[in-house]
Amino acid sequence: MISDQLKRVITTELNLEDYQLTDATTAPEVPGWDSLSHVRILCAVEKEFKVRFGNLEIIRLKSVGDLQTLVNRKVSPGT
Amino acid sequence: MKHGSFPNASGEVLVERWLHHAAARPDDEALVHWVAGEERFAWTWKELLRAAAGFVRTLRQHGVGRGDVCALIIRHHRDFYPLYIAVAALGALPAVLAYPNPRLHPDKFRQGLAGMAQRSGLDWVLTEQSLDDMVRPLSLAAHSTVKGILYPLEWRREAGTATLNDLRDASITPDDPCLLQHSSGTTGLQKPVMLTHRNVLEHLDRYGRAIALTSADKVVSWLPLYHDMGLIAAFHLSLGLGVPLVQMDPFEWVQAPALFIEALAREGGTISWLPNFAYNFMADRIRDLDPECHGMRLDQVRLLINCSEPVRADSHEKFASRLAAMGLKRGALATCYAMAETTFAVTQSTPGVEPVQVEADRNNLALGFYQPAASVPESRTCLSSGRLIPGCELKIVNAKGKELPDGAIGEMLIRSVSMFEGYRNNPEQTSTVLKDGWYHSGDYGFRLDGEHFVIGRKKDLIIVAGKNLYPEDIEDAIAAVPGVIAGRIVAFGIDNAATGTEEIGVVAETIEKDPAGIKALRLAIMQAAMRIDVTVTRVYLAPPRWLVKSSSGKPSRPVNRQRALTELQTNGGPSL
Repeated sequence: MISDQLKRVITTELNLEDYQLTDATTAPEVPGWDSLSHVRILCAVEKEFKVRFGNLEIIRLKSVGDLQTLVNRKVSPGT
Repeated sequence: MKHGSFPNASGEVLVERWLHHAAARPDDEALVHWVAGEERFAWTWKELLRAAAGFVRTLRQHGVGRGDVCALIIRHHRDFYPLYIAVAALGALPAVLAYPNPRLHPDKFRQGLAGMAQRSGLDWVLTEQSLDDMVRPLSLAAHSTVKGILYPLEWRREAGTATLNDLRDASITPDDPCLLQHSSGTTGLQKPVMLTHRNVLEHLDRYGRAIALTSADKVVSWLPLYHDMGLIAAFHLSLGLGVPLVQMDPFEWVQAPALFIEALAREGGTISWLPNFAYNFMADRIRDLDPECHGMRLDQVRLLINCSEPVRADSHEKFASRLAAMGLKRGALATCYAMAETTFAVTQSTPGVEPVQVEADRNNLALGFYQPAASVPESRTCLSSGRLIPGCELKIVNAKGKELPDGAIGEMLIRSVSMFEGYRNNPEQTSTVLKDGWYHSGDYGFRLDGEHFVIGRKKDLIIVAGKNLYPEDIEDAIAAVPGVIAGRIVAFGIDNAATGTEEIGVVAETIEKDPAGIKALRLAIMQAAMRIDVTVTRVYLAPPRWLVKSSSGKPSRPVNRQRALTELQTNGGPSL
């Protein structure tokens, strides 16, 4: 389940008024989410949640659901 | 830092060069295949060429022969390199094509490939099994030139019995073509640049000297090999002059750009080539306090060469400041002006010295000549792309073809010993750019005391992150969107200083007025561009007859671009 907070960060970065993001959504499906904006989005997510992603963690992300899981793990490491 | 001499290599055709290196230092590393999080995989010269010899045998058995054009569509893979060498050793022409991005619609990929097959006369497609569905229809199409689709990564190589003699073919001469490079673009307009062994090797020798390459150097590159900078500067230069290359996966780099710094530091890389956007992109992402960057040093880096899109002083500044703590020297930031049609480089800044920078008066630049700016608000910083490399001539001419003096702005015409042989199967297009031995680049710039400054373009070409895009392709893709008035679309580039590259804006006329409909239309336009792997970041929807026509009766791109940007600044864009 994608949190409203994560959705907001992504849609704001992409300048989309609203866009349905689910666990299964992948970057290529979302207008404007290309390789250049990908890094910008990740930086914005890191800033919003006050976390930092490693290179390998980033490479392994396949979907928005994976990103949510990574954020959750970083924010609450024990869960 | 180690010292070395200019690499010494003999051989007038590519494979002779490579065999020379394999004989001179069989156990030295020729190429490191780098994958994030995995152990490095190094090809020694001996093993690389033995693997290539194995591929030669199997390719021959399949019928691949002299002069055949072989498209290589393979994602980052350790066997790509010996396969490329094998194709070249057979006297066939390797043509590296982009691996399809997940955003690209399969039909668009197929169309692009079919168009390319028609123009380039593709004989073989060497690719991965996973692309079979996308590629297979090519060989079945009527009038297809494609003789077969091969999956070399699935082959059991005969490296056990193959010898380096399998790579030798004494009948190949320096003036035979050795590769095809397709200029960028999206679907229909890629131009196949044909180069000979002489073109490539003479260029490597001259360019190697221009960057003071020595046997102590090591190239690290994340650049895709379908791009001239990746293929010629990183791949061929390293192999041709016997300098080790660390090749990264472009798909990995673009997701995690800090990987480049990691590879550069861990491998002790000294040279790399980067398009301008990469400086901003990496500076935005790299934090020297990150645990991953801990202890990494870049003191050994000798040259990071900015090329392939307009070079910017502010991008250099941002990057240099960010990486200074890791020991990156400012003198390592270099520039170059290059194009596939001249094999690669035309000019290069002096190694070890920061490129020359001038503050030009904007108004005078608009009037067609350089004059130093009297004050900051009126100035535009112009970064030099360097001085001519040996074997190249450049003149700056006005619209009538008259050569202009220093400081005057005009089109840049180039003559080079490494000039291409023409666009394959396209004498008409060749004759529009190659006249009396001079290549008409379509770039505008000026020269000052031997330094060359590129400041604009004659064509409407858009360059996003080093990739050339033709507005026609984007307009065609958007024309199919319901709600857009046919033929009433213009696409153009918008300079973005923050990203260090251009972004793409589109103005499209529509009769739609309903706010929900407008929102949906805007999204549909962005999605139509995505299907050809293009990101449109700004969509301006305009009422009918908003676009200004040029004398040809078509909407004028420069005029409408300016109008849209002005309206955006004043009232948020064209009003419906």
